[in-house]
Amino acid sequence: MTHLTSTDYLVIISYLTATMAIGLWVGSYVRSGSDFFLAGRSLPWWAVGMSLVATDIGGTDLVGVGGDAFRYGMVMGNFEWIGCVPAMLVAAFVFIPHLWRCKVTTIPEYLERRFSVQLRASVAAVWLVAMACNLGVMLLASAQFMNDLAKWDMSLSIVGIAVLVGIYTWSGGLGAVVYTDVLQGVIMIGGCLMIVVVGISELGGVEPFIDKVHAAVHARRSQTPPTASEQTPLAKPQTAKEQAATAKQRESEHLSLVLPVDTKSPGPWPAILFGLALIVSPGYWIGNQCIVQRSLGAKSEYDAKASYVYGALLKGLIPFLIVIPGLIALVRFPELTQDNAKSALPLLVGKLLPEGFRGVFVAAFLAALMSSVDSYLNSATTIYVNDFYRRFYRPHADEGQMLLVGRWTTIGFVLWGVYFAFQLMPFEASVYSLFQTLMSFVVGPTLGVLMAGMLSSRTASEGALSGFIAGLCTSTGLFVLNLPAVCRWLDMPPLFRIDAPYLYYSIWAFLVTISVTVVFSYFARPDSADKARYSIWGWREEGGAA
Amino acid sequence: MTVLHWIGNTIRDQLLLVPLWVARWLFIGLFLALMAWVVQLPSSQTTPPDRRCAWYEDLKIWAWLALMFQIVVYTVF
Repeated sequence: MTHLTSTDYLVIISYLTATMAIGLWVGSYVRSGSDFFLAGRSLPWWAVGMSLVATDIGGTDLVGVGGDAFRYGMVMGNFEWIGCVPAMLVAAFVFIPHLWRCKVTTIPEYLERRFSVQLRASVAAVWLVAMACNLGVMLLASAQFMNDLAKWDMSLSIVGIAVLVGIYTWSGGLGAVVYTDVLQGVIMIGGCLMIVVVGISELGGVEPFIDKVHAAVHARRSQTPPTASEQTPLAKPQTAKEQAATAKQRESEHLSLVLPVDTKSPGPWPAILFGLALIVSPGYWIGNQCIVQRSLGAKSEYDAKASYVYGALLKGLIPFLIVIPGLIALVRFPELTQDNAKSALPLLVGKLLPEGFRGVFVAAFLAALMSSVDSYLNSATTIYVNDFYRRFYRPHADEGQMLLVGRWTTIGFVLWGVYFAFQLMPFEASVYSLFQTLMSFVVGPTLGVLMAGMLSSRTASEGALSGFIAGLCTSTGLFVLNLPAVCRWLDMPPLFRIDAPYLYYSIWAFLVTISVTVVFSYFARPDSADKARYSIWGWREEGGAA
Repeated sequence: MTVLHWIGNTIRDQLLLVPLWVARWLFIGLFLALMAWVVQLPSSQTTPPDRRCAWYEDLKIWAWLALMFQIVVYTVF
């Protein structure tokens, strides 16, 4: 815990004032529902690109990844490197241009054009629930951090952040979100860079820092009992030489991105490669409304593509900024237990940074948090208004009505986010794992139906709907069957042996979605040509479906 | 033990046989495959339409740079 001085508060207030000014200034140009939800399709690539990265790096990432890097090491960097860059580049040149050309506002809207209104409603409802829950998770992450850092009252932090974000998102919609994200992205990168540079300098430079990480891991391992996987009956008895090799491998795991299958971290290599890189990440960058919406608001197809490429370049830098602080904390605070990993970053900020600089880092954290909360807020609103209100209740609502309903819905989601954050407060789960688990339920099935719809004109509506439902049942079913209480009740061992197997939920959900979709489509009546031409190949053959 | 455990354990046992250096090359191979794919993209998909563009407006270059950086990272760590 540390005290923020008046200089720190001055920095924080300056940042908040600048954010509000930008948000309200953009809001003064909003005249219609189209301006509110897609910024009038006027956004330049550089703003969208920075916004993509700022949105992706939320408060949950700074606290969660920092804490998980303290526990597991560099492997958490996979979530920003192989877990983002390949998917962003494929999205940039294949999927995002197609969605942009279709002139849709939401992903569910595309799914109705390609498949059916039932699938649109199902996907929209599931994403709405996931986004609404994540609003609460993100607000709680901010409150936890501020409490650990400066003993700020958690309830006050939740309400304060929600109100600030709510005001400018209410005013300016997507435009305000994107342009405030630009400021927030710059502050976030600058603030995190500061702590990395100061932290490594104080430890004597890069080489001594690496040596000290090894030493810290070695010391910690010698104090802890063998992991569950090492005790499993399946493990073969090891010779002394093998035991020494295993110990050395475990020691180096903290600085490695490619970890063995039996690691206890959430990143064994098959989960990272097959789950994260090939399923969760494409699902996130192609199927997450919160991410895709800003590229749909780009002023041209080229700007939409360029924003993703620019974002992929920025992503190369991010793990150094959010993972390294966790490793610095590992060296600096050897007494900190793994259970208190989430306190690693706040402790580091308190001990490492001088007066004034703490304010910059807190502003960076608030920037990271606000840039994600505002995006989820705006996207949840967009889905509700476009996919439910306008689609089922007021099909002929004009632009003015859409704007009004959009703003009221924003207020509604702010209130919900605050309420849900309070409900989550008594639970001690890692906020990052909570966020990832929620996303893993929906990402696999969504990606499955999107891939099936975009890449094949033969996929049928009934097949896609069946596949989506089957995938959703798979991810939630695996989660339930892996709960300790359920395992005890059924008298069986857990299905997965790693701590937070959310990547495996996504792999299986995606595979089941694709399999069921293909099988059902084979037997189902084919869709009309009008639907099929919304696939990428159908579009190219006919020169556009609009 | 359920059928799900049996499936999981079978896959896990097979994956345990894959050496870590092979896994690392699978990671790097993914980036190399993407680099090859980016190179063969037609210019019409990577540059602004309807006008001559400067070299830095070709998105292929920046996509390549992002992928090259990833290869370096996964080689080092």
